[in-house]
Amino acid sequence: MKARHNPFSADRVETIRYRPVGATFAGILARLEAMNYRAAIVGPQGAGKTTLLEDIQCALERRGLRTRMVFINDSSPLDRPTRRQLMSQLTSDEIVLVDGADAIGSAMWTLLKHRILRQAAGLVITTHRPGRLPTLIDCVTTPGLLGVIVGELLPQEYDLEGPTLDRIYHRYQGNIRNCLRELYDLCASDSSYVGSDYLADDDWSSMSKLRR
Amino acid sequence: MDKLSIHFRGDQTTFAPSQMVHGAIQWSLQTNPRSLELSLFWYTAGKGTRDVGVVETLTVDHPGASGAKDFTFTLPKGPFSFSGRLISVIWALELTCAGSDETVRREIIVSPTGREIVLGDESWAEDRPRGNPSERILGRHS
Repeated sequence: MKARHNPFSADRVETIRYRPVGATFAGILARLEAMNYRAAIVGPQGAGKTTLLEDIQCALERRGLRTRMVFINDSSPLDRPTRRQLMSQLTSDEIVLVDGADAIGSAMWTLLKHRILRQAAGLVITTHRPGRLPTLIDCVTTPGLLGVIVGELLPQEYDLEGPTLDRIYHRYQGNIRNCLRELYDLCASDSSYVGSDYLADDDWSSMSKLRR
Repeated sequence: MDKLSIHFRGDQTTFAPSQMVHGAIQWSLQTNPRSLELSLFWYTAGKGTRDVGVVETLTVDHPGASGAKDFTFTLPKGPFSFSGRLISVIWALELTCAGSDETVRREIIVSPTGREIVLGDESWAEDRPRGNPSERILGRHS
C-alpha cells in the first residue's frame, strides 16, 4: 500500500481527537475551570495526554482565553534561553500549557511553577506521574478504545479481528500511538512491494486477517 | 454557497520537473473577501510527521465576490511525486479565501516519467541501479 493511501498515516491519525474514558470533554473543562486552570493531565506514553492538551487549548481559545503552548522534549528542551524568553513574554491573561513537564528537573520545576503561577492566569501540564499539580484527569486507554479509533480510521473494505487488536494493544502496553504505528506497518505491507522482510511472520498473518 | 475552483489548461495534471503550470482560478462567493491565495506546494504523507514545501504563492487582493484569474507557476526540479510504504510526496495547488474556511485543492503529478514514481515498481527508471529499491532509497539492509 502506498503511504498516501495508508489509513494510519500521521495526518489521518492526527484527526482523531482525545476520547475520555469514563468522562466527557465538557466535564473535563468544567473541572479545569473549577481548579482555576492549575492542573496536570497524567498518564503513560501514548495515552493521549498531548492530544487532550491541544484540545483544551482549542476549547479555551474558543472561550476567548489566551493560551501559550510549550512543548518540551529531547529536540526542544526548556533550556535557559527558552525559559527567559517564556517568562519575558508571559502576560497575566495567559494560560500556560506545558507538554512534557517531566523533562523539567524538580528544583527548576518548583521555581518555574511559582513564577508562572504568579505571572500568568493558569498552568496546565502533561506528566507521566501525579504530584506536580493537582490531577485534572488520569488518561487511560483500553483495548475497546483502540478498537473505536481503528474503526474510524480503517476503510470499510477492511476488517480487523478483535484478538489481533488485543494482541497489538498488549504488545505496546496500551500505548495507542505505538499501536497505530504498528497498524500503519501492517497496512503498508498490503501490496506487491518487494522487501517482504519488513514485517515479522506473525505480522504477516495478522495482515491476512486485515483483509475482509 | 461559496465556490472556489482551480482549472488547468487543457486539463493537464501531469507535469515534468521545471515545466510551467498554466491555468485559471474561479470564485463565486457570498461576501467580498480580503484576498484569495493560490499556492503551489508539495507535502509528505505517511508514517512520520508531515513536511510541506511551498514553492510559489499567487495572492489576489480584493478579488470581489466573483471572478476569474489566470495563473502560471514554474515547477522546480524536484522533488518528484512518489510513493513508498513509508512516505509519499504529493504535489498540489490549493486556493484559499481569507476569512473563510472555503478551500479547494487539486493534486498534480510532477515526474520525469509522466506518472507517480512508486518504490518497488521497477519500471519507473530504465537506468536504475540494481538491487532492492527500498534498500537503496530507505537505506535498509537485510
